[in-house]
Amino acid sequence: MGFVDLAWLVPLIPCLCFVIVGLFGTKMGEKTAYGGLLVVFGTAISFLIALLVSYDYFTACYPAAVESHILWFTIGGYEINIGYYIDSLSCLMMLFASFISTLIFVYSLGYMHDQEMRKRRYFAEVALFLTGMLGLAVSSSLLELFIFWEVMGLCSYLLIGFWSFRHPEGDDKADNAASAAKKAFLVTRLGDVCLMGGLFILFLAMGSLDYTVVFNADNLAAAWAADSGKLLLAALLIFGGVIGKSAQFPLLDWLPDAMAGPTTVSALIHAATMVKAGVYLVARCFPLFCMDKDIMLFVAIIGGATAFFTATMAMNNMNIKKVLAYSTLSQLGYMFLSLGAGGYLVALGMETGEEHLMVIGALGYTAGCLHMANHAFFKALLFLCSGSVIHSTGTEDMRLMGGLKEKMPKTAMTMLIGTLSIAGFPFFAGFFSKDLVLDVVFETFEESGSISWVFILLWILGIVTAFMTAFYMFRLWFMTFMGEYKGGAHGHCHGESPNCMTMPLMVLSIFAFAFGFTLTFGWDGVFTIGLVDGAWLVGGGEAESGLHWIVELFTNWKTYVTIVLVLLAIYLAHCMYVKGTMNPGKFNKDGKSALYTTISNRWYFPELYNQLSWKLGYGVAKGVDFFDKQVIDGTVNGLSSSVVGGGDLMSKAQDGHVQSYAIIVVGGIVALFVAAALLFAQFGGL
Amino acid sequence: MIPLEYFLAFAAVLFVIGAYGVLTKPNTLIVLMCTELMLNAANINFVAFSAFSGDAIGQVMVVMTISVAAAEVAVGIAILLNAYKVRKSTNTDDLVSMRW
Amino acid sequence: MDSFVLPALILIPLVGTIITLFMGGSREKLAKIVALAFTVITLVISTYVMLAGDYSQFDFNSGWIDSAGLKMSFIFTVDGLSILMVFLTALLEVLVIVFCHDGVHMEHGEPKRNNYFYSLLLAIEVGLMGVYLSADYFLFYIMWEVSLIPMYFLISWYGGPRRHYSAIKFFIYTHIASLIMLIGIFAMAFQAAHGGVVDFGFEAVKNGVGLYASEAFQTLVFGLLFFGFAVKMPAVPFHTWLPDAHTEAPTAGSVLLAGVMLKMGSYGIIRICIEALPLGAPNWQFIMIGMGILAMIYGAYACIAQRDLKKMVAYSSISHMGLVMVAMGTLSGIGIEFAIFQMFAHGLIAAMLFMVCGAAHDHLGTREIALLGGIAGKLPLYASFMMFCFMASLGLPGLIGFWGEFGIVFAFYDWTVANDMIYLLVFCLLSLLLTAGYYLWAMQRTLFGRETKKIDMGKVTDLDKLECVALAVLAIAVAVYGIWPDCALSFIQGYVDSIVNSGIVLPSLNGVI
Repeated sequence: MGFVDLAWLVPLIPCLCFVIVGLFGTKMGEKTAYGGLLVVFGTAISFLIALLVSYDYFTACYPAAVESHILWFTIGGYEINIGYYIDSLSCLMMLFASFISTLIFVYSLGYMHDQEMRKRRYFAEVALFLTGMLGLAVSSSLLELFIFWEVMGLCSYLLIGFWSFRHPEGDDKADNAASAAKKAFLVTRLGDVCLMGGLFILFLAMGSLDYTVVFNADNLAAAWAADSGKLLLAALLIFGGVIGKSAQFPLLDWLPDAMAGPTTVSALIHAATMVKAGVYLVARCFPLFCMDKDIMLFVAIIGGATAFFTATMAMNNMNIKKVLAYSTLSQLGYMFLSLGAGGYLVALGMETGEEHLMVIGALGYTAGCLHMANHAFFKALLFLCSGSVIHSTGTEDMRLMGGLKEKMPKTAMTMLIGTLSIAGFPFFAGFFSKDLVLDVVFETFEESGSISWVFILLWILGIVTAFMTAFYMFRLWFMTFMGEYKGGAHGHCHGESPNCMTMPLMVLSIFAFAFGFTLTFGWDGVFTIGLVDGAWLVGGGEAESGLHWIVELFTNWKTYVTIVLVLLAIYLAHCMYVKGTMNPGKFNKDGKSALYTTISNRWYFPELYNQLSWKLGYGVAKGVDFFDKQVIDGTVNGLSSSVVGGGDLMSKAQDGHVQSYAIIVVGGIVALFVAAALLFAQFGGL
Repeated sequence: MIPLEYFLAFAAVLFVIGAYGVLTKPNTLIVLMCTELMLNAANINFVAFSAFSGDAIGQVMVVMTISVAAAEVAVGIAILLNAYKVRKSTNTDDLVSMRW
Repeated sequence: MDSFVLPALILIPLVGTIITLFMGGSREKLAKIVALAFTVITLVISTYVMLAGDYSQFDFNSGWIDSAGLKMSFIFTVDGLSILMVFLTALLEVLVIVFCHDGVHMEHGEPKRNNYFYSLLLAIEVGLMGVYLSADYFLFYIMWEVSLIPMYFLISWYGGPRRHYSAIKFFIYTHIASLIMLIGIFAMAFQAAHGGVVDFGFEAVKNGVGLYASEAFQTLVFGLLFFGFAVKMPAVPFHTWLPDAHTEAPTAGSVLLAGVMLKMGSYGIIRICIEALPLGAPNWQFIMIGMGILAMIYGAYACIAQRDLKKMVAYSSISHMGLVMVAMGTLSGIGIEFAIFQMFAHGLIAAMLFMVCGAAHDHLGTREIALLGGIAGKLPLYASFMMFCFMASLGLPGLIGFWGEFGIVFAFYDWTVANDMIYLLVFCLLSLLLTAGYYLWAMQRTLFGRETKKIDMGKVTDLDKLECVALAVLAIAVAVYGIWPDCALSFIQGYVDSIVNSGIVLPSLNGVI
């Protein structure tokens, strides 16, 4: 028994923290931040266990996955198990999720310090949130994953709606938060319902939802041979769930609204949990998705389209958090683009039997995972920095900031590191993964034959997005920290944030800078996927260590294209927002051009969704209600009143006049006799 | 000997007269008297059948009917008197409160 | 000794009914405690029965009427189908008595005596226990009516402003249905008559009809019985009595009505229609599935349009019982298993839902969604419980409602594959989405956003201790069964195995790979 067998503790500890803080947090008092310290402590322990588990896994068990489960219950002869499943991917997930969450929670102690009793609710909910994410990372079956998936959905609902009543800034904001929370839950629920449908199909087709059964190459091949249509449908529905959770096109609308929650929650949702779950699910279901290359093409197209569209939305937004939200969507798009393009090649390789295609394809998987981890670090950093700025200035509007570099040196420097990283500045973490992603897409273009025009389009979208990313991120940084000092909402800022807020920033900035170098230590071998002896295996490739990646990156002309674009974008942003030599208003007719308004309105997505949900939801409901009240209940009430009315009518015949009753009696007797006589005459006897 | 049909025809006429009275006369006293006519029409039938078949049970029934009729008149008149006390009328058209 | 346990489950509440009935005047205040004592005893006994394992030891059989070729007996049995319902009945009875305040039901019209209220609650328990325990059609029918009458009085005495209309509607609706059901019962019993004796016992009838009576006969009788049960469930379009009855009924009445009385319908369909008329069932399969889907979608849409919180919850019951109908319609082992599970799950959740809605009326003075808003700030406990039960009802994994939905939709998918109609799955999934929609929208408008100014928030109070206890017990049950559904499934399993073994249904339609 090694540490690997303790994997079940990783999600359990935050869960216990949730229960304890949720029930007794009020009694813990201000000294422990109403349970906040316990949560920080628990998360740290959880991270340590995750570290031990990963260490044990990589030293003792790698590359074979460690799986253990117990029978939960059976449903009509199908067994449903609960357990844990550890491989490179789950190690990666639980490591960065628990590590970043620990830092975010430490930061929260400072950020939420004036919330008093509400801290109990906050810390209980984030603990449950983390439970969801860690549970998702270690779960051993798709059903178990779905449960944690939904738990995260619930927590995002609770946390986005954290200020949905008694908002410190007034009732309008509270209404706004309530609506955003509902939207987040409903849109992701739409995806979840699809995912659930996919699970049913998969369950019946494969007879189990355990990873070991479902992602077994032989089982998949057998099920594919039996009914390929169902498996295809299942994969598409599962990806539907991913689209909802990771806010990809067309279900991307909830994530920007979700900024109504506290900034730390945004950091949690965007960096460590929630949206990463979608990427994880695609990576996890890679063997299933590879059964058909068209699914992977679909994934790549969705990813590329999202990356581009959301980057445009970030270009002219004035809200510091919203810009970061759009950038998250855009970066997630990169991850799906990478997984999709790589998966396409793997699927193609399986179809044609060409080994080298599968090898290049597996690189897409590596690039997607690396970008996921990198993004987790720099996005957490960026959000926490923006939180620090908001905390200090009391506003989210970048037009009211500016010149904060002197006032908040630590925040400014750490945020600069994050910005350089996300922009893909050479040698920063984002640079490695982003260029790897674009590289994979380009390779797919070269290998994919007749469909290659799609991939060259996606590649162009990718580098244009890289340009836009660098531009809007530096626009954000320049507007906030450079230029003339404006002092935020109240005309002055509170200066640098307390240490418990800046310490996590510094730790994160180290990772945001340096995590890319892990690539040189053999990411391609450990975080890859491939068919090993006929079975799908995450990891298990030969790690090629050393400088070979660096050499490859810098001997590639495409890398220089992106570097030039990034530098150009930074220069452009500098000219516009620092030196003022270029007026941004010239490009958009002072915010009146059609493109500018379209982008401001998020390409009219929210409008479309409002109309659609209002018509399909409330409109139909009104109709049903009318039918219920008028037609069904009308029939029922009509029936009963016709009975009552009929009785009324008959009772009119009772006039109380004895003699008229007597006439009826006599008349009846006479009629009987006449009838008897007639019968007698007819039949000649009774 | 007078044939049986004569008795029956007589009783039938008497019964119809009684019935006519019961159904049409507005005065409750007359209605009561007419019921007596109908009863007696039945009595005549009883007696006639009894005499013609030589069975005394018919005559027993007549005695029974007469006593029932006497009781009925007593009750009927008592109701009538009470009704008159309340309504100041014995007209059937005025005694119509037993309805819906 | 053990054979008197089941009659005791009926007799104890009956004694309680009579005692509380005569506790007028100065003893009125004690009525609640006395009623509580009797229900707690019943709960203890039913828990003992549930955990006993071997249910046949409890069989009770005693003669009653045996003349003129008619044989009706006092037969009480319990099995995996009924035990959860018995337990649920006993549990909810205890909890509603804990939850309800004395004098709450004096809001409308003239004050009514408390002891009658508790007496009626106990009388309902007598009827419900009788329905779930009796194994003789005549006894079953009598108990069915027994449960109906006290509910009528509960609504028409202690209900809201339109209580008379609702009570009459409830009574006539369900009474017509049960008369039609009675015709079906007679048809079955006379068909099964053996040696000139019409025996009304479940076993006797099953042996006489079961696989022997012609398919045409079974189909016809299935229809009669099905109508009777479908009204009780209630299935669209025979449902309109339910929202009215719920809106007007006192909280306790609503909890029992939604929690256990609706399940009488689905219990009857499984116990009588499917079990005793296996040849007729397949001919009604499509109608059951169709009605179930209709109820799911229709009920969910109707919820969105409701303006009264309690009425919305009432329509959600229709929607969730539609799931049960679909599950029964699949006529597979999984379907029946999760139909029973969902009955139990919905019983727990609906009880919470109606308690929360009732508390809205008691604490805030209104249930109108439009009048509420932002109350989470003032009533955190209330808001937590409301959110909890809404989440449970919309099928959040980890809570009991999810497993009901999951199993049923899986059974339904199994059925659609066997019948080549996969596209029907869309309706199930749509209803799950709509459910989330109306609950979240209701929460947004009541709990969150700006604090309402339409009611006087200065005077409102949060839930009191007893209310919290009742809700917390249910919440714990919902969570425990949600985390470990086998706690309930293991009871059902035995029953499902027995009907699978007797060849009435297949375990699953597509077989296990």
